[in-house]
Amino acid sequence: MTVEYDFDVIIVGAGLAGSSAALTLAKEGKEVAIIERGQYPGAKNVSGGALYGPVLNKIVPNYWEEDAIERYLTTKKITLLSEKRAMTIDIDLQDFAEPPYNGVTVIRPKFDRWLAQKAEEAGAFILDNTVAEDFIWKDNQIIGIESGEDELKAKLTIIAEGAVTLLAEKAKLAKKPSPSHYAVGMKETYELKKEIIEERFHLNGNEGISNEFLGYTHGIPGGGFFYTNKETLSFGLILNMKKLIQKKIRAIDAFEDFKKHPYIQKLLKDAKMVEYSAHAIPEGGYKHMPKLYGNGVMIAGDAAGMVLNAGLYIEGMNFALESGRLAGLAAKEALTTNDYSAEGTKIYLKLLRDSFVLQDLKRFKRAAKFLERERIFNVYPELLNSLMYQLLHNTGEPRKRIVPTAIKHFLKKGKLFKLMGDAFAALRSI
Amino acid sequence: MVENPIKIEEKLALTKYVTDKNFAHITINEEICKTKCKTYDCVYGCPAECYKLVEDGDVPVTFDYAPCVECGTCRLVCPHGSVDWHYPHGGFGVEFKMS
Repeated sequence: MTVEYDFDVIIVGAGLAGSSAALTLAKEGKEVAIIERGQYPGAKNVSGGALYGPVLNKIVPNYWEEDAIERYLTTKKITLLSEKRAMTIDIDLQDFAEPPYNGVTVIRPKFDRWLAQKAEEAGAFILDNTVAEDFIWKDNQIIGIESGEDELKAKLTIIAEGAVTLLAEKAKLAKKPSPSHYAVGMKETYELKKEIIEERFHLNGNEGISNEFLGYTHGIPGGGFFYTNKETLSFGLILNMKKLIQKKIRAIDAFEDFKKHPYIQKLLKDAKMVEYSAHAIPEGGYKHMPKLYGNGVMIAGDAAGMVLNAGLYIEGMNFALESGRLAGLAAKEALTTNDYSAEGTKIYLKLLRDSFVLQDLKRFKRAAKFLERERIFNVYPELLNSLMYQLLHNTGEPRKRIVPTAIKHFLKKGKLFKLMGDAFAALRSI
Repeated sequence: MVENPIKIEEKLALTKYVTDKNFAHITINEEICKTKCKTYDCVYGCPAECYKLVEDGDVPVTFDYAPCVECGTCRLVCPHGSVDWHYPHGGFGVEFKMS
């Protein structure tokens, strides 16, 4: 008996991966539907808010000509925090001030809605306010989804449900993840006048800054982030779930404590909080990804664990956009050959392996393990800040030489050998 | 200066919800919480204070799904499988606008 399909492809989730897949397929003239459980695309979605431009430009050429993004990033700051002290590396690259822009900031509910609309304009159906609860199976093959009493059948299904992997698990491609490989991210959005943002952060026009923070998290692996939008600020803290619960500190308290740091207080001065949000983040990297394809099914974006945390690079949205696009291309291929089994969807893996998605995740596969070292978060920021304090503090006594003071400082704290060990591990992993 | 610390209730008051009064998308198995749990990981993990410790309570933890931001943390941190997590019905639950 042949199945009557409602669509060629059903995509679960109108986030970046889902809409990117839908747009790719709709442009190819395929019948595609996105099932979105939120009130609108983006209503359930949270990100730090910084995204790379070139990948976006590949999916929506000349994206900057529309009202989709907030600011383009020209300044990156990395700040080490400890009690009363902060040390910042401040990188200003005006090279990044030209389209397609190296990085941009976005507000997800607005940005995701825009991207979904692009898919819709290309011919995709968007079914919002609809939750995909389970799959329809036939002969060990996924042939659609169930939503309440309704069934929707498709030749192929792309799971782009995000970090809560209920459907990926039901598709028997993923197991319930361990909290060791996940983080909880909390975010506050603040309103601040455009002029004040530009003056305070030395921004010309629509330039923006990103500032990431290490330290001052009770030793919990993770870190803070701060991005400028047009008239708002995105500020948040990301904490490894396993270490958080082991320390017995509530995530909400760790966040408030972090915010008390005078450096943070200055960033947020006179700004008015307008929204609070939070989300789980897959951080296990390459070693803890699910199986990416099966009979009638593929997984993209956060649902596929495609997030990279390699210290300097912390990214998920560009993996979501690109994996969605590649899932779309793979689906098109499988539709052409009429093979919807795992043999047909397998090409998705090949496309991912040929792209930066799996190559970057693989290159930094040891980073997740490396970043479990608590010293990185509770010892080194303070070690460097206290060294600076020692070198800069005027006591009225004669000065000491700089390099011996530094060596003595590291030795006294008993950290020189550990530091060398960690530096060696860093060399191997990042 | 930013007021410190801001209570989580005040923060969550800024977040929009469409609460489904007829369906709790997350439920906990109180029997498991009562007999097996000694670590209360949900209380530490939840970023919306849906889980609260009760001193001398029959069940050590109370749970309310209304302030849930659907982050997925509790499902992963509970080591006893006491958290039964479903997506809210279509159109219900948290509705972010500025995140």
